[in-house]
Formats: sequence, structure tokens, C-alpha cells
Amino acid sequence: MDSASDNRRPPDYEADPKAAPSKTRTDRTKYFFIGPAVVWILAFTIFPLFYALYTTLYSYRYGQRFGFVGLENFARLFADSNLLSSLRITLIFVVGTVAAEMVLGVALALLLNREIRGSNVIRGIATLPLFATPVAVGYLAITLYYERNGPVNSLIRALGGEDIPWLSDPFWALVAVILVDIWQWTPFVFLIALAGLQSLPSELYDAAKVDGASSVQNFRFLTLPLLAPLLWLILLLRMVEAFRVFDIPVSLTLGGPGRATEVYSLYTYRTAMRFFDHGYAAAQGILLLVIVMLIVTVIFSRVRGLYEEER
Amino acid sequence: MRLLYRAGLGLITAVALLLVLFPFYWAFLNSIKRPEETFQPSWIPFLQFQPTLEHWRSQLATPEIRHALLNSTIISIGAATLALLLGTLAAYALARFRFNRPSNGALTTWFISQRVLPPVIFITPFFLLMRQFKLLDSVWALVLLNATFTLPFAVIILSQTFRELPRELEEAALVDGASYFQSFFWIVLPLALPGLAATWVICMAFSWNEFLFALSLTSQSAIPMPVIIAGAEHTRGVQFWFVGVNVLMTMLVPIVLALLAQRYIIRGLTLGFLKG
Repeated sequence: MDSASDNRRPPDYEADPKAAPSKTRTDRTKYFFIGPAVVWILAFTIFPLFYALYTTLYSYRYGQRFGFVGLENFARLFADSNLLSSLRITLIFVVGTVAAEMVLGVALALLLNREIRGSNVIRGIATLPLFATPVAVGYLAITLYYERNGPVNSLIRALGGEDIPWLSDPFWALVAVILVDIWQWTPFVFLIALAGLQSLPSELYDAAKVDGASSVQNFRFLTLPLLAPLLWLILLLRMVEAFRVFDIPVSLTLGGPGRATEVYSLYTYRTAMRFFDHGYAAAQGILLLVIVMLIVTVIFSRVRGLYEEER
Repeated sequence: MRLLYRAGLGLITAVALLLVLFPFYWAFLNSIKRPEETFQPSWIPFLQFQPTLEHWRSQLATPEIRHALLNSTIISIGAATLALLLGTLAAYALARFRFNRPSNGALTTWFISQRVLPPVIFITPFFLLMRQFKLLDSVWALVLLNATFTLPFAVIILSQTFRELPRELEEAALVDGASYFQSFFWIVLPLALPGLAATWVICMAFSWNEFLFALSLTSQSAIPMPVIIAGAEHTRGVQFWFVGVNVLMTMLVPIVLALLAQRYIIRGLTLGFLKG
């Protein structure tokens, strides 16, 4: 990462003594500039993180600290079948949404990369779902999935299918939540992949044309390798985001029916805010962090390349 | 063949755009339908049903909703301003000064890595800490939290923006005896104004949409719009017409903000990896 920074940075004042004020003055100034943000994050992110870790050592009843229990809150994690089921639901959600979003988003970007006319309008429209308040999207989806006369079932009926019990059947409820996430985040993959495609050097494609490459060969041997680091980055960002899913299941299904859509964050939220079992909730949070960190570490090694080459 | 290909492409684009836009249109339809009509699959106002603005009027007159709109406004403006303030300073430091141990690259990665933390970890510590400091159900707690979670984003975007500014002007000013602060205030900030405005606006949109902490840390007087939407169902059952109004009212703000900052969206979404 260190060498990356040097590539990305223009030469600074200290490298150019003519322009540089004295060393101590520069030193003082640079810490003045960066200090507040660093202190802020130490105080409001790193400290709470350690406070969460400290909280796991205690048992809580009705929100009051009750006694030191050591690592017992962590031991409870592995004996809690509801937690494991919420982890399973979250994994299904992550794999389902991210796979569909990557395929759809990249496919659309490849298709529309040629079409220049109206691309600003298309990009503007693709921005809409990304910034639509997720809770609001969830509630809006209730009206779309309305089982008797809602537009989704109306469409399915018009196509000759049967009404789907979107929100009352455990299987379909999870599908419903996944579909809403796909609606909201496919544009994200699309927008980034499109921007990536448009930043590819056109000379390479001209050369490939001279050599008589087919469009399939172009894709396989030029586009895909050039785009690979960016695709890994999109995958990373989407997975990190998908693991924290909360808003849509809360608003669309409230975790139900039963526990069919009770994702990890919702389970932890309920542990903390409904049962006020803070020590255990904190332990759940830490477990989720560990899971996400493992995935990030695996993928980040592939993203690093992009970080170093781009500028 | 070529014509067929173009027609197919046009069709796919049209279907995709329709899928994106239809839910918004449906919310709009529900918001102008009479309650009994919201359960009918009618699509065209005036032709199939008589539209009404009654629900918009009644929702906008509801004190809780007005209060929530105000709270959301305070939270998003406050958080974005704070994040911009801290972020601008840090971003300038990363773009123009060399740090050793930790290096600039390590510092940048540290800021980015904050975005990886699952927010749910923080419910417990923030709830307990805010309770300790008597900040539960306060908009200021949410200002503080949203500023914290949008700060890394602001730092990354702005340090990119600063790197792209020409350095000659600043160097000339320094040679002429200006201090770093003078050149920062009178040269750098005016040049970076479009980037600053875009960052502010995107941070505002993120803070407006935030739900998990808003739900965990408010109970009455600090409730913002996303929590109002979430509360409606359990007290009164799902009333499609009010859902339509509330959903649109809530979404409108971040969407308009995002469209204003359109040029910076790609960069923002990829944490500065891609200029777009």
C-alpha cells in the first residue's frame, strides 16, 4: 500500500526546497490538518469498537450490567441455533444478491457501452435506486408484492403464471427481499462497470481489430483481463454492503414469516434493543466483523493491483 | 441483422429502465389514489381513477411527520457539514504533505477500512455510551454518528479532488510569503469548491437514508423520516396511500441531492478508485 501512495501522489513541497517553508513549520501544519479527522475516528469508531469488546465480557439483564462472565458470550454464539440460522439466511442473501447483481450489471454495461446516445439520461436513471432510502424502498415493495392485486402478481398472471405468496411464504419472502436488493444495487454494478469500460484504452481495441480479433476474443483476451481488478473491487464493495443488510428485511418482512428473513443484523439488533442483552449482542457484532474481515482479506489482495495501477 | 441487433438492444434498455422507474411511479399512483382504489390494479390517473391530493395534504399536516422532516434535515445537514469540515482538512494533508510512519498510503487505507466495519457492531457500544452521556433520543447523537460514518468517504473523495488541482498557484503563493493556511483558504478551497459541494451533498444523502442507528437511538423527539416510515405499519396496518406519500417524500431528498452531484457519483461509489 505504501508504494501505491507514492505513485498516486504528486511531488510535495518538501521535495522542492524552493517552495517549501521551514521543516518544523511544515510538520506542525500537516498534523494540524490531519489531526482532527484522525482523533475523531479514534474517538468515535476505534474507541466504541474496543468498548464493544469490553462489553462482551459482561452479562446484561434488562439493559443493566449484571456481572463478569468472561468469554461466555462468545461461547453462546456457537450454541445459538437462531443465530446460526440468521447467518445462513444472510449467506444465502449475500450470494444470491451479489451474484445476480454482478452478472446483470456487467452484462448491461457491456451491452450499453456502445450506445452513446442518451447515456447521460440512462446514468441518471440508474442513480435513482442507489440513493432511494432503503427503508422506503422496502415499504414501497410491500405495495408492489401485494398478493391479490399488486403489480408483480398482476404481471405474473398476465404472463400466464399463478399468484405467488410473496410475503406469507418463507421461501418466497426471502426471494422477495433478494429481488428488492437486486433492484436497488444492480445499477451500482452497472454504473461502475460502465465507467470502467469507458476508461479502457481504445488503441488496444484498434490494434485487435487490425489483427482480426472477433468480439468474443476481444472480450475474453482484452476486456475481461483489463476489467478484472475493477470487477473484484465491485465484488468486494457489494459483499461488504450485502453482509450488513438490515433496512430492507426490516421494512419489507420484519424478519418473517417466522424467522425466514431474519438476517444477521436484524437478529443482533433484536438481541440488543429488544432483549437488551448487550454483552451477547456485542459478541455477535464481533463475530460478524471477523467473517467480513476474512472475506475482505481474501478479495483485497486482488484489488490492490487496481489501487496501484490506476494513478 | 444489424437492425435486429439494435432493436434487441433498444428493447433490453427499455425494459431495464422501465423496471427501475416503475416502483417510483407505483408509489406516486398510490399517493394520489383514494384508499379503496389502492387495492385495484389501475395504472392511469384521470382515465381509470380520479386522483386526489388529500393524502399529501394530510401527511404534510401531521405534526410527527413535520417534526421528522425537520429532524432529518438537521441530522443530514449537520452530519455532512461536520464530515466535510474534518474531511477537507485531512484530505488536504493527504494530498499535499508527506507522512512517514504511518505513510500517506497507510493513512488512506486506514480511512477506507472504516467503511468495512459492519454497523451492527456499534449498536451496543453507542447505545450504552449515549445512555451514559444522556444523548439518547437526541438529534445531535445522530449528527455525530453520521458524521463519523461519512467522514472516511469525504476524506477519500476530497484527497482525489485536491490532487487534481494545479499546484503552481499554491507554490507561487508560498514563495511570495503566504502561509499554508492562507494558501489553503484563498487558493485551494475556492478551486475545489465544486468537489466540496458534491461531497457535502452526497454525505447529506447518506445521512438522510441512515436507518439502523436512527432506529436504535431515537424514541420520540429525535425520530427522523426513515423511522417514521418504519413505525407506520405496526400502529395502523399498511395503508398503501400513506406509504406512497411517505416513501416519495423521504426518497425525494437524497435522490435530488445525488443527481446534483452526478459527476462525482462514480468516484464516490468506488471510494475514489475510479474517476468516472
